[in-house]
Amino acid sequence: MTVKSRSEKLGQGVGFERIRRITGYLVGTMDKWNDAKRAEERDRVKHSMNGHA
Amino acid sequence: MIQSIIKRDGRVVLYDQNKIAAAILRSMEASQDGNAADAARVANDVQRELEGRFHSQSPNIEAIQDSVERQLMNHGFNAAAKAYILYRANRTRAREANTSLMKTIDEITNIDARISDMKRDNANIDGNTAMGAMLQIGAAGAKAYNEMYLLRPEHAKAYREGDIHIHDFDFYSLTTTCCQIDILKLFHGGFSTGHGYLREPNSIQSYAALAAIAIQSNQNDQHGGQSIPNFDYGMAEGVAKTYRKAFTRRLKEAVEDYLDLNDEDAAIRDLIAKAEEATGETARLESAPAYLEAVNRLLCETYGLSQEKAAKLISRASARAYAKTDRDTQQSMEGFVHNLNTMHSRAGAQTPFSSINYGTDTSPEGRMVIRNILLALNAGLGHGETCIFPIHVFKVKEGVNYNEGDPNYDLFRLSCKVSAKRLFPNYTFLDSPFNLQYYVPGRPETEVATMGCRTRVMGNVYDPTRQIAYSRGNLSFTSINLPRIAIESHGDEKKFYQDLQAMLELVAQQMLDRFEIQASKHTYNFPFLMGQGVWLDSDKLSLQDDLREVLKHGTLSIGFIGLAETLTALYGHHHGEGEEYEKKGLEIIGFMRDFCDKKSQEMKMNFTLLATPAEGLSGRFIRMDQKRYGKIPGITDREYYTNSFHIPVWFPISVYDKIRLEAPYHALCNAGHISYVELDGDTARNVEAFESVVRCMHDFGIGYGSINHPVDRDPICGYVGIIGDVCPRCGRREGEEIPPERVDELRKMYPEMPAFQGIQ
Repeated sequence: MTVKSRSEKLGQGVGFERIRRITGYLVGTMDKWNDAKRAEERDRVKHSMNGHA
Repeated sequence: MIQSIIKRDGRVVLYDQNKIAAAILRSMEASQDGNAADAARVANDVQRELEGRFHSQSPNIEAIQDSVERQLMNHGFNAAAKAYILYRANRTRAREANTSLMKTIDEITNIDARISDMKRDNANIDGNTAMGAMLQIGAAGAKAYNEMYLLRPEHAKAYREGDIHIHDFDFYSLTTTCCQIDILKLFHGGFSTGHGYLREPNSIQSYAALAAIAIQSNQNDQHGGQSIPNFDYGMAEGVAKTYRKAFTRRLKEAVEDYLDLNDEDAAIRDLIAKAEEATGETARLESAPAYLEAVNRLLCETYGLSQEKAAKLISRASARAYAKTDRDTQQSMEGFVHNLNTMHSRAGAQTPFSSINYGTDTSPEGRMVIRNILLALNAGLGHGETCIFPIHVFKVKEGVNYNEGDPNYDLFRLSCKVSAKRLFPNYTFLDSPFNLQYYVPGRPETEVATMGCRTRVMGNVYDPTRQIAYSRGNLSFTSINLPRIAIESHGDEKKFYQDLQAMLELVAQQMLDRFEIQASKHTYNFPFLMGQGVWLDSDKLSLQDDLREVLKHGTLSIGFIGLAETLTALYGHHHGEGEEYEKKGLEIIGFMRDFCDKKSQEMKMNFTLLATPAEGLSGRFIRMDQKRYGKIPGITDREYYTNSFHIPVWFPISVYDKIRLEAPYHALCNAGHISYVELDGDTARNVEAFESVVRCMHDFGIGYGSINHPVDRDPICGYVGIIGDVCPRCGRREGEEIPPERVDELRKMYPEMPAFQGIQ
């Protein structure tokens, strides 16, 4: 934990938040997810809008 | 001569033959096989055997117990021997459970949640906080007790070994899962939270504030999430009350200004009361013409105004009251969302797990609520963060909001725009046949509403006159490890179905056992849920009554995981890989649904089939199955089993096909279901494209669906959108710093940028 004053540089060590949906609800940052769900999120592929059967 | 013995913990204590005889007698009594004299004789022989083996040395407990088993059998007390062995095994299991419990508590106490997977089992509980850890320790203790004392041995074995998963097992002896709170019924006449009495609210501000409190209060009575099925209809009443007061006040001001009078308060109130009495109407966002005429007439009579002038004053008052009401509604909705993201429940370990359903109220007040809750969701929290709670569920219905020309079509369009940015709302489709069958226009309680991650309650075998969404919920659910049954049947379809049938029976029995515990609770155990009449028919109970009958309005749900892996194990392919496997998938899930329907008729209780949410479960089953079977390609070779009936997340497929293949399972899984589509960020931000996906879901008969797309945020500059390696606003990479001059520059361009100061 560090105390920053305004004049200091901002952002050091601060990551981006990546909000994702698991089991229907959102979780603010993925470090709260369990290992299996993290793996599942990693494996997700995007679905294309074309290719209607 | 045996003088002393060695206990398990290594202590040496005096030998006492009576203790051995007493233990033998207990087994004899339990099995009705032998009496006290028999027990003494067997104990004598145990002592003789021990003296023969150990002479004057001290035997340990295990050696003594071995000898007791042998001597019981030597004497022909076979039933007593069996009881003794069972007792010993149970004691061993209890000791092991104690050790494992202490290890678990040790991990909760000492290991950072970022390292401990177990502490991240539920992402909504922060295991690093004092109250979160306390909750986890309590849960661990309750689970150990429940397994040891409340489960039948066959259920305990199935649970322990991962054939089934009993959800919310820590709450096994305590409560039920969730409830749809009819917020209007609760508010009428006021209510008590269990910690204090609240009067019936009188403005949109208090409606919204009390709605959050209702969710919080009920969350403390149940282990699952909480939902409001009628958020728009409910809040609309608050809007109407706010408008009515605002109209009176603005009319007073208009009259005072025009006639240069002071203190017309009493006179205007009197006038409004007369108009209300004469017409049976009140001022509304769109007031009835008769009401406005009455106000006009009374204004003319009281102040000697022309009809035209009176109309002008009324029109000005109406416009100002409208603006005031809209502003109040906007602030109330923002406050509601902020509350649900920041308020605590369950001793501070969680924010309440909450959902709100809306979209179908076409009254001007209801529309004002829907528009403002969507705008609040769109705006995000204080620094523009995406709101995690509540889950917003937009109810889609033809003739109400689905097609151009429908009264709420504009709000449906707005919802697409918001969801494309914020991931919520999700969509529930009232036109899908399994939902439409319950729908009665003008009766919002017949509109399907969704609880939290997916739970749905509509049909009611126990009371077919009450097939409604309001005031009901799930009692408990248990999920089946479907891939394991498939692996064990080695491609033999007949064996698969036999084993599945047996597993369904086992789960049904286990949930009935749990129901017995739940049914014997009393109204006073649930001061809010039952005490305030939130649950259906609980308002007819006295404080001492048990809950058996009213709980039967709820559902007992059998869940499953990994249909894709199951099909692969049985037939070599999953249901995304060809028509043949599509059919096989529907047969399996159809078989399970049939079982639930038959069980429902047999018991006159609501057994339903659930596409399990599987947060903790996705890893639990497969870890056990990898130990048993190794990594079988396409079945156990990943870190998770595929959720419920989903096409595997890694399988390339179009939006259209994914929706088409998953939709039929929504009809089968009547306890709850959800389908996701993953869009890339650019497509998601194209509102036309986004809407076309929602329409595709509607047209294929999806019950409940949502669209996933990346939502990232840089906490430094406040940018919300897609962030690859570099933030498109401030240009920094993850973990990089930006110089203060650049911060000042950015702040000029983006005044809403978070002030990032102090402790981080």
